[in-house]
Amino acid sequence: MTAIIKATALTRRYGNFAAVDGLDFEVAEGEFFGLLGPNGAGKTSTIKMIACVQDVTDGLLTVDGLDVRTNDRAVKSLVGVVPQDDNLDEDLTVRRNLEVYARYFGVPGAVARQRIDEGLTLMQLDEKANESIKALSGGMKRRLVIARALVNEPRVLILDEPTTGLDPQARHLVWRKLRLLRERGVTILLTTHYMDEAEQLCDRLIIMDNGKALSEGRPRDLIAQHAGREVLELHLPPEESARVVERLTPMLGESGRIEQVEDVAYAYGIDESHYRMVEAMASDPYRVIFRRANLEDVFLTLTGRGLVE
Amino acid sequence: MSASTASRAGTKPGQKRGPSGGVVPWLGIAIPGRQFIPVWQRDRDVFLRLWKAEIAAPTIEPIVTLLGLGLGLGAYVELGGDNDYVQFLAPGMLMVFPMFGAMFEALFGSYFRMDQHGTYAAIQATPVRPEEIVLGDITWAASRMALNTGLVLLLLLVMTPWLGFIESPLVILTLPISFLTGLLIAGISIAFTSIARSISQLSYFFSIYVLPMFWLSGAFFPTDDLPRWADIAANLFPLFHAVSLSRALTTGELEWSLLGNVAFLLAGLLPSLWIGIWAMRRRIVRG
Repeated sequence: MTAIIKATALTRRYGNFAAVDGLDFEVAEGEFFGLLGPNGAGKTSTIKMIACVQDVTDGLLTVDGLDVRTNDRAVKSLVGVVPQDDNLDEDLTVRRNLEVYARYFGVPGAVARQRIDEGLTLMQLDEKANESIKALSGGMKRRLVIARALVNEPRVLILDEPTTGLDPQARHLVWRKLRLLRERGVTILLTTHYMDEAEQLCDRLIIMDNGKALSEGRPRDLIAQHAGREVLELHLPPEESARVVERLTPMLGESGRIEQVEDVAYAYGIDESHYRMVEAMASDPYRVIFRRANLEDVFLTLTGRGLVE
Repeated sequence: MSASTASRAGTKPGQKRGPSGGVVPWLGIAIPGRQFIPVWQRDRDVFLRLWKAEIAAPTIEPIVTLLGLGLGLGAYVELGGDNDYVQFLAPGMLMVFPMFGAMFEALFGSYFRMDQHGTYAAIQATPVRPEEIVLGDITWAASRMALNTGLVLLLLLVMTPWLGFIESPLVILTLPISFLTGLLIAGISIAFTSIARSISQLSYFFSIYVLPMFWLSGAFFPTDDLPRWADIAANLFPLFHAVSLSRALTTGELEWSLLGNVAFLLAGLLPSLWIGIWAMRRRIVRG
């Protein structure tokens, strides 16, 4: 496994505030890699440094072995960026947006035209080629920004919260396109705070908070490690909940624990027998939920369930 | 570009290093390369889509002003020579109103591209450096000024049989002079844009810089007879030198002092480009 992106003690400071604080990670060639974290965790700062848009304050960051500080042009030509906002040229048509963008990379006209045709087909925007940007839906704009990030045939595609604000259909279409790109060998780095997105797409990910990595691994391993197989959620009235928790606690093994967040209790490290017991105790069995643990449990366990603002 | 040909990363974390992105430390910016051209082309492409709306003001305003002031106010103005006031005004129209083209482009146009539309942010993710984004915008603003000068020149030529505006073929040289002046104006304007925190703040620049420059340009009245401080102030504005040159090139009355006007514009070129690029780069990179 060769690392195409390598960050060592990567740090980005704004004055005294460290947005990224000594981050270490590697992304292998062809991998689908995720950066997860709440708002302000340092995800966007990290990818802006990879894209050479923001300076590295300290540490070492390389893309394909090239130091981003000294090889900004070479690194930028290897990378395609899909930013959070659809910063398209509203005054130009769909096709013209891509042509103008290809010129920034110095892609020759004939090559650019061919790539643009392919990109529009891939993103299902053929029919919109001569439309103005204002005529596109949110999902179409997103796909166009992805097509735009492909005009330089990047080896690394970076997406910053690519499906924020999209409806479910548009989201699933973007996901399909991203999986297709990965099958074609493009390394993909994605930031998101949607756990289902990360779980569906990422081979490996790191969970970040306050500029630091809290955990790293494959989604399934992270779930097993931090949340176990199943989770029990108790949406019961306070006194009843307290009674159930009191009963349940001594039954849990070493890996088990119960977390009370406002009006809901979450029990980890449990199995079906616990569920049967709790269900029998509860006045309303529908308010006891037994489900597979997911990445959201990991995320909330690591970053805290309370609202952080 | 193949990665193997570029230098490999050799620095260790924590090691003291110089600025990144090709920045020359004593200049505070990287020397822009030819990558500014696709940025200029982008601005041109947008203009070509909107050109009908974009050229109305730059052609109508100078002609209305010329005829309004020249024929209206001119009836009350007695000049020393045989010329009427309207003929005195005409050469200035080749510079003062076109100047607004460069200024608006570098103030409002660049502000929108930087802050509202994310155009700069989109280009930043490509091999184009921030310095080249700014230089592309500055050269486009200067192109707008030269284009506007060309439009006004055409209209003056059309009216010349009746009003005798153009007396020398040298007038064609007003186009490069206009472009050069546009580079200075745009560099200074975009530096101001870089410190503006809202659109409305751009009007400060208009009031404290552009309007005095407009009136002291020598287009509407000679500045020689003004109080000494006003004459000196006029000489510090690029537009004053552009109008002096335009007057000479329109009438064909060349003097040695014109070299001084050219020298001023040339001397101001690099500092104006630098201040614009340095200041706006700072804004773009820091966000």
